[in-house]
Amino acid sequence: MQDTKHIVQPNRNRNILLTIFATVLVAVALLILTSLGSVKLGSALALFAIWGIATVSLNLVNGTLGILSLGHHGFMLIGGYTTALLILSDDKREKILASGRSSMTPFTVGLSIDNFFNAIGLTAFTTDETLWLRFLVAILLGGLMASVVGLIVGIPSLRLRGDYLAIVTFGFGEIIRLTASTRIFSPITNGALGFSGVPTEFGKSVWWTFAFLGITIYVISKLKYSSFGRAMEGIREDEIASEAMGVNLAYHKVLGFVVSSFFAGIAGGLWVSWLGGARLDSFLFTLTFFFLVALSVGGTGSITGVLLGTALVVFVRQYGDPLEQSYLITTWILAIGVILLLTALAIYIFRTIRRSRPKIIPAFYLFLIAGVATVVLALLAPSLGIMQGEFRGFGMRAIFLSILLIIIMVFRPDGMVGRAEFNWAWVFRERLDQPTEEERKQDAWLSNPELNRPGGAANTSDVEED
Amino acid sequence: MAMLEISNLNKSFGGLQAMTDVSFNVNEGEIISVIGPNGAGKTTLFNLITGVYTPDSGDVRFQGQSLVGKKPSQIVDMGIARTFQNLRLFTNLSIMDNILIPQHHKLKSNWLQAILRTPAYKKEEEEMRKFALEKLSFFGPRLMSFRLYQPVLVLSYANRRRSEIARAMATGAKLLLLDEPSAGMNPKETIEMTKIIKRMRDEGGYTILLVEHKMNLVGEISDRVVVLDYGKKLAEGDYKDVVNNPEVIEAYLGKKATDDDKAKKDGGLE
Repeated sequence: MQDTKHIVQPNRNRNILLTIFATVLVAVALLILTSLGSVKLGSALALFAIWGIATVSLNLVNGTLGILSLGHHGFMLIGGYTTALLILSDDKREKILASGRSSMTPFTVGLSIDNFFNAIGLTAFTTDETLWLRFLVAILLGGLMASVVGLIVGIPSLRLRGDYLAIVTFGFGEIIRLTASTRIFSPITNGALGFSGVPTEFGKSVWWTFAFLGITIYVISKLKYSSFGRAMEGIREDEIASEAMGVNLAYHKVLGFVVSSFFAGIAGGLWVSWLGGARLDSFLFTLTFFFLVALSVGGTGSITGVLLGTALVVFVRQYGDPLEQSYLITTWILAIGVILLLTALAIYIFRTIRRSRPKIIPAFYLFLIAGVATVVLALLAPSLGIMQGEFRGFGMRAIFLSILLIIIMVFRPDGMVGRAEFNWAWVFRERLDQPTEEERKQDAWLSNPELNRPGGAANTSDVEED
Repeated sequence: MAMLEISNLNKSFGGLQAMTDVSFNVNEGEIISVIGPNGAGKTTLFNLITGVYTPDSGDVRFQGQSLVGKKPSQIVDMGIARTFQNLRLFTNLSIMDNILIPQHHKLKSNWLQAILRTPAYKKEEEEMRKFALEKLSFFGPRLMSFRLYQPVLVLSYANRRRSEIARAMATGAKLLLLDEPSAGMNPKETIEMTKIIKRMRDEGGYTILLVEHKMNLVGEISDRVVVLDYGKKLAEGDYKDVVNNPEVIEAYLGKKATDDDKAKKDGGLE
């Protein structure tokens, strides 16, 4: 009697085929983009994928589980340093040993996948051609290390709630970074010197990074749409209610945290490879801050949104350097004028779309007049002989990103897509939450004009029958 | 043996004795109402049974096992589920998700199997959905079909109450604790809720312990009524006997003040 629509996902096979097709399409697009041969584009794409892994995994904790975690950079550091130490080439290791400033011991310098493979007799895998295998092993170990630390950090701290937990995770993130620089750990981390010369052929490779991104998205979206993910979303919505419905809070929080730190470790491994070295100052809190911006801009809780946010942040970071160059002061003023005029235009368009009355408000005139005045000033300034010289906009990228964040928070507090997720049903306009024609006919309340009279407050209750 | 045995339960919050020596039994297949004026300790009693609070002394036994010191989620595992007085649905999630989350504790697959979508997990997921539809159909068509995928926040208040009861049923519990199931409902919906609670017992086989203020609902469905006042059990028994009990009337309506009482009260104030 029950149709299977509510039990299994409708059009499941079609969706799987479309997903495979879309993946192939993305691969072809990447192939075309990489064949253009632009180094800058390639590294921007790789950075998008690496930060995408980090944000998607952070989103599992911040968005799905509803816990504000600020220590993601700490877990990335563990993954990154583990990977760097394990795959560093032999000549770099010799340099570290020879250096007087390094506090690494011969034993810790010898910690490498190379030596491990040699020890167990797999010398075939220690050649330069098989570096990829060693990298794979190293990065997985880095992820595991990060998840073990995530487990150790998570069990005590996840008993806290809200702001307190945020402060604790932030604290742990910083503790990880600072202990890595102490004397106790510097034989492993090489202290403030870090590791330089980490092979960049993986972190800079679009294929490697996107493959890891694909795996991350696959695992985390499968987790999100499983019963475990639903339980996590229940915890986000209402901890007390989900506990009263039998959800083991501690278990699910720790599970989410550990899976998230595993992928943070993977992202860290790729990040050191992208940078070509592991240094403590490449794992500052600003890294987590950028991820949080990506989350807020795209939509916390949505993998789709988070990836859009990451794309935006990476774009501003990689292609924002024109913002930080030296220009004539008049150019800057002209730019401000144009922004003011665009704001006026935006006000006009918004009020037209939203059908607000009056369509033109005082603020519109304010921005219009200020904009015109600024543009005129900028154009006249050279002939009047004022405002000469140049100005270099240091930090303009961060300012631009912040302004962008403010604008999005004002107009779309939930981020660009909110909690909505991309799916094929949405592409085909298949709305399960709206009645089909058949359902409309069967439903007395929707099909009966007597009941459904506009303004008529009829009651759907079937009590009247008896 | 009674299904739920509450014996000499005590609980205080600082200086406030919220529960004093309360004991009563709930037998399988009964509908028992707990009534009492505001602040009588009815919700505290629910919180003590479901493990939100730990009693200072006394014992709660469910099917012979003590519930004291267990976590709320473990108590759900044993077969007791509750609803909340001021609705605690997962408002941003769909109705379907709301009814699937309480079934999560019955899942046998682990998280890795869930990520890999093994056949065993898939089968369990289908079973969960079937069970959810079965529980929702208790409330007629109003929570079914396309409404399954609407977020709870678009539902009317009465439908939210129904969803909460469906959610408690979906945990697979035998004993349901309903905290004011008809709060905020109009008389018509209250009558319907009365019928639903009866059907839950008769068709669903649930044992029900409920807190309610609407006396017509209580009178119609209760096998027994327990009256609480200031954390003490005032009376227990048949609805008619209980409401005619002078102590109960006093607790609800107050005592007619005699001159003697007035003098006492004035004296007490000094």
